[in-house]
Amino acid sequence: MLSYTLKRLLQAIPTLWIVITLSFFLMHLAPGGPFDGERQLPPEIEANLLASYGLDKPVWAQYFTYMGNLLQGDLGPSFKYKDFSVTELVAQGFPVSLELGMWAIGLALLVGIPMGVIAALKRNSTVDYMVMGTALAGVAIPNFVIAPLLALVFGVFLAWLPVGGWNDGHWKNMILPVVALSIQQIAYIARMMRASMIEVLGSHFVRTARAKGLSEIAVIFRHALRPAMLPVISYLGPAIAGIITGSVVIEQIFGIPGIGRYFVQAALNRDYTLVMGTVVFYGALIVLFNLIVDLLYSALDPQIRYDNE
Amino acid sequence: MSQPLLEFDRLRVDFDLPNGTVTAVKDVSFTLRKGETLALVGESGSGKSITSTAVMGLLPELARATGTIRWHGGSGDENLLTVNRKRLRAIRGNEISMIFQEPMTSLNPMHRVGRQIREVLHKHTPLRGNNAYLRVVELLEQVGIPEPKRRIDSYPHELSGGQRQRVMIAMALACEPQLLIADEPTTALDVTVQAQILALLKDLQARYGMAILFITHDLGVVRHLADSVCVMQHGEIVEAGATKALFQAPQHPYTQMLIDANPSGHKAAVPDSAPVLLTAQHIGVRFPITKRLFGPNRYFEAVKNIDLTLRKGQTLGIVGESGSGKTTLGRALLRLVKSHGNIHFDDIDVGQLDRAGMRPLRSRMQVVFQDPFGSLSPRMTVGEIIGEGLRVHQPLLRRAERDDQVIQALEEVALDPAHRHRYPHEFSGGQRQRIAIARALVVKPEFLLLDEPTSALDRSVQMTVIKLLRDLQQRHGLTYLFISHDLAVVRALADEVIVMRQGEIIEQNDTQSLFNAPRETYTRELMRAAFLDSPAA
Repeated sequence: MLSYTLKRLLQAIPTLWIVITLSFFLMHLAPGGPFDGERQLPPEIEANLLASYGLDKPVWAQYFTYMGNLLQGDLGPSFKYKDFSVTELVAQGFPVSLELGMWAIGLALLVGIPMGVIAALKRNSTVDYMVMGTALAGVAIPNFVIAPLLALVFGVFLAWLPVGGWNDGHWKNMILPVVALSIQQIAYIARMMRASMIEVLGSHFVRTARAKGLSEIAVIFRHALRPAMLPVISYLGPAIAGIITGSVVIEQIFGIPGIGRYFVQAALNRDYTLVMGTVVFYGALIVLFNLIVDLLYSALDPQIRYDNE
Repeated sequence: MSQPLLEFDRLRVDFDLPNGTVTAVKDVSFTLRKGETLALVGESGSGKSITSTAVMGLLPELARATGTIRWHGGSGDENLLTVNRKRLRAIRGNEISMIFQEPMTSLNPMHRVGRQIREVLHKHTPLRGNNAYLRVVELLEQVGIPEPKRRIDSYPHELSGGQRQRVMIAMALACEPQLLIADEPTTALDVTVQAQILALLKDLQARYGMAILFITHDLGVVRHLADSVCVMQHGEIVEAGATKALFQAPQHPYTQMLIDANPSGHKAAVPDSAPVLLTAQHIGVRFPITKRLFGPNRYFEAVKNIDLTLRKGQTLGIVGESGSGKTTLGRALLRLVKSHGNIHFDDIDVGQLDRAGMRPLRSRMQVVFQDPFGSLSPRMTVGEIIGEGLRVHQPLLRRAERDDQVIQALEEVALDPAHRHRYPHEFSGGQRQRIAIARALVVKPEFLLLDEPTSALDRSVQMTVIKLLRDLQQRHGLTYLFISHDLAVVRALADEVIVMRQGEIIEQNDTQSLFNAPRETYTRELMRAAFLDSPAA
């Protein structure tokens, strides 16, 4: 297990390097720069600014400087949020995004898995069609449509919950963004769970379990559920990464001070170091979650062992 | 005569499908007595498995069963088709248990085997804790699992196919049932393992005094195991009777056909003067087991240092059990897997050729695989599948000419050329194997690698494919390398036989001598297990 983990982490290095390099040059290809504002800066001031951030050098030289700093763990200063380093901004925003994402994934699993199981058990019945119809709608409607609708209904019309803001993570402020984030995931998980549950219920070892005289409840919970959950588990890696990046939109709509909001603003402002910082961070996060999920998978399925020794 | 235990009275099973009702079992009536072994025999699609699953109420959802199945094993007699669910669950695994054809997938892959056996005890007996543990160990011991105390904590994937079937049997016997339903329990196993499992079942039957309902397509097994036989065809019992009488004087033509369906005939050896087509020296194939970051990789030697020679017009049979390396050797000879050693095909050093260099040779050496369901692309018509080889090897051929050759190939394998616009799923297993043979033949090869081409087919269909292969060999002077675990088929087709075990050649001789006087113990064991030593076979 240890040697497998080590190998995967080593494999992540070239992946991250490609991601970083591509983003770096793409970003510099985009027109505009960090100090192009509404008001034209006097040329000598702009030259000074560019020089102080090293932006007057050729792009490839900037690239090597950036990589050199990155290897030492330095993500550089933000161009727009003066007096803050990128590391500080990420450290400030990430806990918020993470908390939001984890609640959303938790909710998605808690609702999606039972929905899928029920649909599978009652397959081709009215219940199944209703559950799957709802799930299809959940997949089809993007969260930037759902989020304002939720805010309108529960925040404005009913006035049960605040329409936005974070309020240091008060539970009332969290409900709407968490629900908006999780709806699409609930739908995906329910559909996936239904398909894999139907497959497992038709498998030979479930037939064996029934032939032993076990009750249907025991067959489902003891024998069918765990193997049926494996595809959902392997989907969780990309899903968690997706939910945290997906929160870019949700954080913007609900005015939540997470890392996603910085990402959007940084890109619009050409805040090069902050964009790069978030890209590096997201990249590492995706690699990490995929690894965790794969290790979890091997813990659940005894047929998968990463080391033969 | 002992008392009846299970009585079928006009059992009928219908499947309500979207496009109408299909009757899988029609008016099946028979009686199984206490302690007796009754075999339900038939080919695929005869309804024998459906009949047996109806007993346990395990029919698929779309199935509807009518008639009665009387069970006398409980307190009174009851109709298993109408008893309530609770009673049915009390019967399952307790009064009646079942073992299945698929030992590899019938156990839950995520639970340790001990837990899976203990589950039955928990459900039906008061045994708990250490007492249950001891009973599980005892059961594993009884079914011949070595080191039961260690194996109790194994996961199914850590056991071989034969061991998994033993675990299934241990699970079935846990509550000492009065009836064991065995649905093709040895079909997926090697012949020597099959022999061990059958002996085990016989032994346990004597010990527990249970009745066995044995479902099989294999008449050799029936003859050795069953007291009485019911022969099924198209969902009906066409003949029933005591095993001995039925085998001696079969009445129904279908029974006669099944009994006669053993592959027969011999192939004359080619003269020593026949030119050599293929020689292989020191062939070895190895696969990495572990790929480690540091340190050397470990390898599994699938084929070890094998020499062989094939003359034009010869059929060389390779027999061996799963894992013996026979398929890998065949693929190495065609350079479908990487190997070391020297291979010469018609004096061309095959080992020196790169991919492009191999290509002209590919049309001269073709292959037919075991699985007629998996080896034909489901998205291509039969005409496209057969014509694809021509596109590669004769790209200048015009469409009409190519079509002519496809038609010719289909005629060669006795399929209707008008069907070339159909897709593989519209054909039966035997027909698909003919398509696979036509696909190989269309590029006019000299050498055919036949890798278990008849193993997935019913005996009666096997016969026709064997006959076809024989005719084609005579008509075109083909050379065959015939790989099979089925000794009866190899005996009928090959003029020389190699017996392989663990990647090595154990014995090699002309077919007659090898089957009449096997030198090695292992060869004799294989033959005994395949019932080739019984007089009638």
